[in-house]
Amino acid sequence: MDQANSSQLRPEELERYARQLGPGVLSQQGQSRLKDATVLVTRVGGMGGPAALMLTMAGVGRVILAHGGEMISPDLNRQVLGSESVLGKPRAEPFADYLKTMNRFVQVEAIDHEPDDDEAAQLAQEVDLIVSCPPTFQERLRLNRAAVKAGIPLIDAAQWGMTGTVIVVSPGDSACLECLYPEAPPFEELFPVVGAISSATGSLAALEAIKILSGTGRSLAGKMFTYDGFQGRSTTVELSRRADCPCCG
Amino acid sequence: MKIQVILTGRDYHTAASVPEELVLDEGAHLDEALRQINAALGDSAALPDSCLIAIGNQHVGTVASHPNVELQDAQELVLIAPVAGG
Repeated sequence: MDQANSSQLRPEELERYARQLGPGVLSQQGQSRLKDATVLVTRVGGMGGPAALMLTMAGVGRVILAHGGEMISPDLNRQVLGSESVLGKPRAEPFADYLKTMNRFVQVEAIDHEPDDDEAAQLAQEVDLIVSCPPTFQERLRLNRAAVKAGIPLIDAAQWGMTGTVIVVSPGDSACLECLYPEAPPFEELFPVVGAISSATGSLAALEAIKILSGTGRSLAGKMFTYDGFQGRSTTVELSRRADCPCCG
Repeated sequence: MKIQVILTGRDYHTAASVPEELVLDEGAHLDEALRQINAALGDSAALPDSCLIAIGNQHVGTVASHPNVELQDAQELVLIAPVAGG
């Protein structure tokens, strides 16, 4: 985003974001860059939901949600954008409607399915950053390929039980997901999870997105951050690129 | 020599059966550490092929594909079984 062409913030926007403007948080220029940014969040479940909420409240100008399928009761231990009223229904539209009530300065759009290869590649050309929160490695690797090809950052948030991980991919500069997982690890449909780690992990992913888009602080690019709530332990691992990576090598 | 072991990610609860510290012969290599960890875990909980390996917080590969590097005393071996849940 070109700083010289960044959008001016209106007085009511400056008032809204007053607590996140200043030393140690965002500059006005950074806030303007957020306003100019578009982020794709897929999917918007336990992690994508809070990520989308934090991005919307922070003032990312355009937030696109992608999520297919209907919400079922076991999902509700980790949804922050919906309620029992959404049970048995698609969630992208009602979740987007809820987000619109949280910040009128943000444009929120809904896609009622998971993007396939072509759509992911197309979306990656339209957005500035992807927050990847799907339940399968196939989808994560698809989003990773789309982001690398488009040259935009990808933030991958994942969870299991009481553990959450965040990986920031900066194409050309850091390892991509395919560097780590040459072959997709097996998919576990009924994985255990406690909603509190979902929310924490999604929020951390949003924080990384906000930092990158606004040009604030030091991103986790090239690292994998893990918080293991069960063992009360965090680890940060420096990730290595693979020279023979078929995606970014 | 002794190395510290951190097992996390998916199935982190199995870490309870792995010693937090491995005692290895001087000059021992990564594969020997992995062999001891898998022996402690037992067949039903063996480290998955896709499990990430980091030594001294530097990612070196997966269980299926990694350089069999020589370990040094007091190094930290981090094993992260991939998680993906949404």
